[in-house]
Amino acid sequence: MKRIEWGYLIVSYLFLGGLSAGLYCVSALAALLHANGHSSAYKRIARLGALLAPWPVLIGSFLLIFDLGHWSRFWKLFVRLQWTSPMSLGSWLLIAFSVVAFAYFYSWLTEDERRWIFSKIPEKLRFLQILNCDLSGKQRILALLGLPISVGVGIYTGVLLGAVQSRPFWNTNLVAQLFLFSALSTGCASIMLVLALSHEPSDSRGFRMLYGLDIGLLILEFFIVVPYVVHGPLSTQAVKNSLALILGGPFTGLFWVFFLGLGLLLQLGIEVFESVPAFLSRAPVHYNQRLTALTAVLVLGGGFLLSYIFVFAGQMSSFD
Amino acid sequence: MATHNKRYVMVIDSKKCIDCKACVVACRAENRVPLRYSRNWIAEEHRGEWPKLLAAFEPGQCQQCESPACVRVCPTGASYQRPDGIVAINESECVGCRYCIIACPYDARFFREDKGVVEKCDFCVQLVDRGEIPACVKTCPSKVRVFGDLNDPDGPVRQLLERRRHLTKKPEAGTSPQIYYLL
Repeated sequence: MKRIEWGYLIVSYLFLGGLSAGLYCVSALAALLHANGHSSAYKRIARLGALLAPWPVLIGSFLLIFDLGHWSRFWKLFVRLQWTSPMSLGSWLLIAFSVVAFAYFYSWLTEDERRWIFSKIPEKLRFLQILNCDLSGKQRILALLGLPISVGVGIYTGVLLGAVQSRPFWNTNLVAQLFLFSALSTGCASIMLVLALSHEPSDSRGFRMLYGLDIGLLILEFFIVVPYVVHGPLSTQAVKNSLALILGGPFTGLFWVFFLGLGLLLQLGIEVFESVPAFLSRAPVHYNQRLTALTAVLVLGGGFLLSYIFVFAGQMSSFD
Repeated sequence: MATHNKRYVMVIDSKKCIDCKACVVACRAENRVPLRYSRNWIAEEHRGEWPKLLAAFEPGQCQQCESPACVRVCPTGASYQRPDGIVAINESECVGCRYCIIACPYDARFFREDKGVVEKCDFCVQLVDRGEIPACVKTCPSKVRVFGDLNDPDGPVRQLLERRRHLTKKPEAGTSPQIYYLL
């Protein structure tokens, strides 16, 4: 049995980093649609995504720092850029993403919300009032600027694992794509969950966008999982052995039943059931609040499981 | 600098190993490695049943790769390769992310929980820089290990590698290991 160096903190960090990236991407897409004169439902999705996006990655970054053997030396990650290290590239990406995500978050605050926040600033830090400015006119440019950075953060979580040549379970470029689409899908699901739990009536166009996007992402994810699993028995002995971890090994049930079954295919079925009639007849989306909330929870659970399975199974795989 | 043009490697003749573990003890003493960790080890293999038995021993350690995966993934540059090929760790730069441990195909690195940093064999650089040989080589009673400069045509390692068949461990990992095992 291989030693496990990365545990739940890293699993959670990869999930939360991807979640933030997904939230930002969905929000940015909705903001661009809204700016092009489409329904105000997009505005609600864009605002929701923008307000949620910075927080998961912030929590995840703290978990990452807490996981370091020498957490007080975390600043050394930002002293230089090591081009060949995915972790170094990722650290810089996280900094860029956090700055843009907080600026974007700020741009979506209403004047009242901004006033409330600045009213909490102590008298000694009064000079910070200079930051109380309206950035709402910059929403579109921030959405455009943050879109590639958030895709970078989403894909980086997979690259961090995929670039390790000594772990055959990870060492395929499919892992990067899988993590990216899973990240975007969890972003979509979080917004769906908040909309489903809120008491405000939701515009059908918003759900049409979210369902359409999520169905596309889940299908992409599915068609990455299939070749990933199929290539195992067709590859070298080391890859065969590593894929055996999910083909009869300790992660089989988690992968097939919980990740692929409940976390991907069941929700794909529910989303198709909910939205296909609307796509075919342009009728409003057949929207069931409980079913939508269930779908969203399944997507989020699936995203976390993906991170869990890959982090642990990958570390158990080797060339031995 | 004197280390230019040198390429330090090690040749191991496992057949000579008697599993006395003097190399493990010498390494521990020289590098102050606590008991629960180890920079080198002896892998044992037992086959057959009495009276037809086979016991084989094989010393293992960092393979001092030509293209070290640990150095590539290190986010701070703490893991680095010297001009003489030795892969070492600058402890003061290590943040303890353990990415290098995961990236090493030989499981040659370990995390020192007491210090919060990663450690591994570095050919006893403190001795090599004084013109000496690593502690494990010096102490081995059956002369299993030979240390030297691969670029020296008259040196012992070059002579051995030219005369004897040998292999390296897990070449499929693509790191070009520089510990040679004689057949």
